[in-house]
Amino acid sequence: MTDWEDFSFQGIGTEWAVSTPLPLPMSLRTRLLDRVEKFDGDWSRFRPDSLVAELARKRGRYGFPDEAAPLGELYRLLYRLTGGAMTPLIGGSLERLGYDAAYTLRPDGPPLPAPEWESVLTWSGTVLTAGAPVVLDIGAAGKGLLVDLLAAELDAAGVSEFVIDASGDLLARGTEPLSVALEHPYNPALAIGVVDLDGRALCASAANRRTWGDGLHHVLDGTTGQPVRTAVATWTMAETAMVADALATALFFVPGAALQETFDFSWLTVFSDGSAAYSAEFEGMLFS
Amino acid sequence: MRPSSPKSLPVSRHAVRNGLFAGIAGLSLAGTVAGCAPSSADSTAGSAAPSAGTSALAGSGGGYKDGTYTADGNYVSPNGTETVGVQLTLAAGKVADVEITQHPSNPNTRKFQGEFAGGIAAQVVGKNIDELNVSKVAGSSLTSGGFNQAVEKIKSEAQ
Repeated sequence: MTDWEDFSFQGIGTEWAVSTPLPLPMSLRTRLLDRVEKFDGDWSRFRPDSLVAELARKRGRYGFPDEAAPLGELYRLLYRLTGGAMTPLIGGSLERLGYDAAYTLRPDGPPLPAPEWESVLTWSGTVLTAGAPVVLDIGAAGKGLLVDLLAAELDAAGVSEFVIDASGDLLARGTEPLSVALEHPYNPALAIGVVDLDGRALCASAANRRTWGDGLHHVLDGTTGQPVRTAVATWTMAETAMVADALATALFFVPGAALQETFDFSWLTVFSDGSAAYSAEFEGMLFS
Repeated sequence: MRPSSPKSLPVSRHAVRNGLFAGIAGLSLAGTVAGCAPSSADSTAGSAAPSAGTSALAGSGGGYKDGTYTADGNYVSPNGTETVGVQLTLAAGKVADVEITQHPSNPNTRKFQGEFAGGIAAQVVGKNIDELNVSKVAGSSLTSGGFNQAVEKIKSEAQ
């Protein structure tokens, strides 16, 4: 894909590149950007005009767009599998630790556990009903979900070969196997291995990213409101980027082998001591 | 399952475009690992760790002091206190070696880690991305702003 054309843009706080054999027509570029803007306007907890912001201000019944249905199902399943540790209600905990709309990046009191799902929120298809204002944060699956939504736009426009790169979360369709380096969790100049990505999504999550203080980072355990430690980086491969993205976070709470009982995916977890655990597809792909 | 074996890869300086790095590259040694100074065990300095070897740094023309940099971080996990140690070796201004030097001290953590049904690699090592023949890099998300900040810190503190 060396000769491919990149369409690069900013979206949901990160850099995106859509690579295709031929340049994308302007109308399709506009459609992709509109899709990103719509997604941000619905789901961002950093925008006062978003649906999520409204939900954080006022209890009630809210109609979300179509993608809310699969997203809600996925979160519900992972909430159960992680014993409540992985929850879309983690937004309040993140705000408490300083990861708020104003990016104060200063803790505002002791860690705050997320509210129990059943007690505050009913997520039924695309309808969310909150008994109290709740800070929804779909960060664990949101970027992957948007990757899938952009892929659907490309499909609908008849583009069959593309790679979507959302700052290291990747989806490849209709391409030759794509050789992808796995970034070293402590040094972005290094890779700890190389995998071939073939028609699926590859997502990563790391505990050392978006750090802002002593041991405070963005992967939080919903039952304690505390950052998660020990696993330092994870990678997953799955059919959809939404699932791959969410499972990359779930690996911080649940062993990959246990998640494999429910999900068809490949996984790699690197720990703070530099050791790694992985499923068969990552066998022999790591440097050691 | 057996541990993974080393994989030989074609060595090529071609591979990854600069823009890719700006998008995905992250802060090195951030987070649980605090402080860093050449040959110093002091983990309270709160400075950024040196790093080099990315295209962005290589192009900056600045020289970085050679030496071995170490950083230790202690933290309390659900299993008790853990220690992470990272050691960076700079030679001729580039990262020659990165090692994660210490192990979780708590036996429960080791047990937990040993329970995975998949394969286990005893120690994973890094290779220069520049020297791998790859189209993309999969890492964790970070805005380019954060990356640029890290580069600025490294420039000011490792020179």
